[in-house]
Amino acid sequence: MKPELSACHELEALLPAYVEHSLPAAEAERVAAHLLGCPGCQLQVIQLRALTNDLDAALPEVPRTALRANFMAMLEEQKQLLKPEAAVAKPVAAPAQPEAKVVSMWPTAGFNTWMRVAASIVLIATGVLLGRNLHWGPQGGAEVAVANPDANQQTHTQLARALTPANGQVVSASDRIQLVNNSTNETEPGDATVQVLLNTLNFDPNPNVRLATCEALYRLRADPRVREGLVHALSVQTDPNVQITLIDMVVSMQVRRAVPQLEKLAKRPDALPVVRAQAEAGIGKLI
Amino acid sequence: MTLTSTSDEELMAAVRADDLDQLVPLFERYHGPLFNYLTRLTNDRDLSEDLTQTVFERILKYRSSYQPTQPFKAWVYQMARNVHADHWQRQQKLRVADTDVEDVERTGALRGGAFSQMRVNNSHDDLHEALNLLPVPQREILVLNRFQGFGYEEIGKLLGCTAEAARVKAHRALQALRKIYFAN
Repeated sequence: MKPELSACHELEALLPAYVEHSLPAAEAERVAAHLLGCPGCQLQVIQLRALTNDLDAALPEVPRTALRANFMAMLEEQKQLLKPEAAVAKPVAAPAQPEAKVVSMWPTAGFNTWMRVAASIVLIATGVLLGRNLHWGPQGGAEVAVANPDANQQTHTQLARALTPANGQVVSASDRIQLVNNSTNETEPGDATVQVLLNTLNFDPNPNVRLATCEALYRLRADPRVREGLVHALSVQTDPNVQITLIDMVVSMQVRRAVPQLEKLAKRPDALPVVRAQAEAGIGKLI
Repeated sequence: MTLTSTSDEELMAAVRADDLDQLVPLFERYHGPLFNYLTRLTNDRDLSEDLTQTVFERILKYRSSYQPTQPFKAWVYQMARNVHADHWQRQQKLRVADTDVEDVERTGALRGGAFSQMRVNNSHDDLHEALNLLPVPQREILVLNRFQGFGYEEIGKLLGCTAEAARVKAHRALQALRKIYFAN
């Protein structure tokens, strides 16, 4: 005899209770009778038993010991909070004063805003003052150079001091460029300034300063040391802008001694293609 | 229980009277089961440690609201349920605020991936996966009934229904779990 589907459906709700033996005896008998002739419901009972066993066998999740440590820390914190409260509970007036002080020290929102505005004004003013002061120093040096065109010795030592990073005072790159530009205004060929500028060309960390030095040296091109220095610089400079400027300079100054350096530069794998092309073109013009 | 016969309720009454040290034995008795309960609900061990800690923080915070006549177990599980519900709501809000649905899905997937890695050595993987596929209310009933040793009477009180209703719900949940567990 085939059991009706509706009977199975009705029993489905009873099967868990049947499995955990919590059905009243009469109902349990009814279920057992149905099960005899219903493989589907039998399977359900088997599955429910297996599931119950698996649930019972499931191991509990164990927290890390950090949980206990955190709890203990939290408890200590709470106990500390409780202690001063309990201690000052007897002297009544005592806690009021320090608390009142704390409250009075808090700045209001409006005060905060004004403080921020005031702070920004102070910061801007400081910036302006600092900027002016920093600007004045090197400018003063340049003025000396202009004011004392005869004292060449003094000028180039000052220039050297300002351009050499070894001294304590650090002069900004833009100031160094200005110094380099001013240096050639009053100098004659053969002047010690050339050596200072060549040193700058070789050792200044900033490529823009080195570029400005190139231009200054170009103005002093009458000095034989300039040609020598430029050829040397071609072999050591790695900045593409400086490299191209140097190539232009040796070409326009017709420094034929630079050809071997240009040939090397044209083959240097680390040079930019545009630099190598410029070097090739320079060689073509020089030979 | 081996060290002292002091009941949960007596301990909690002492905590209520600002003897905070009495919370330590309660922590020892309950932090494991609570962690278990929350881990089964959230499927996230790290989060469950945080939530368990929050439960004990709230016990201290609201200790004065504890009525010594009420069973501590029911009170603390109610608190754990609230902590979990609060967390759930926060997550929902975050999810709504986050318009990048893809992002949420991605992080969700990543989190799941990390979690499955963490569980490699767990021999009851299939069972836990099946449990996680149950709707939270059904999962919660089973967890309380099967893992936390709650009777139907206690579940009914916790969930705000009769013991008989709790029993019917638990049996439905078990059948639902069976269908998932033996789906293959």
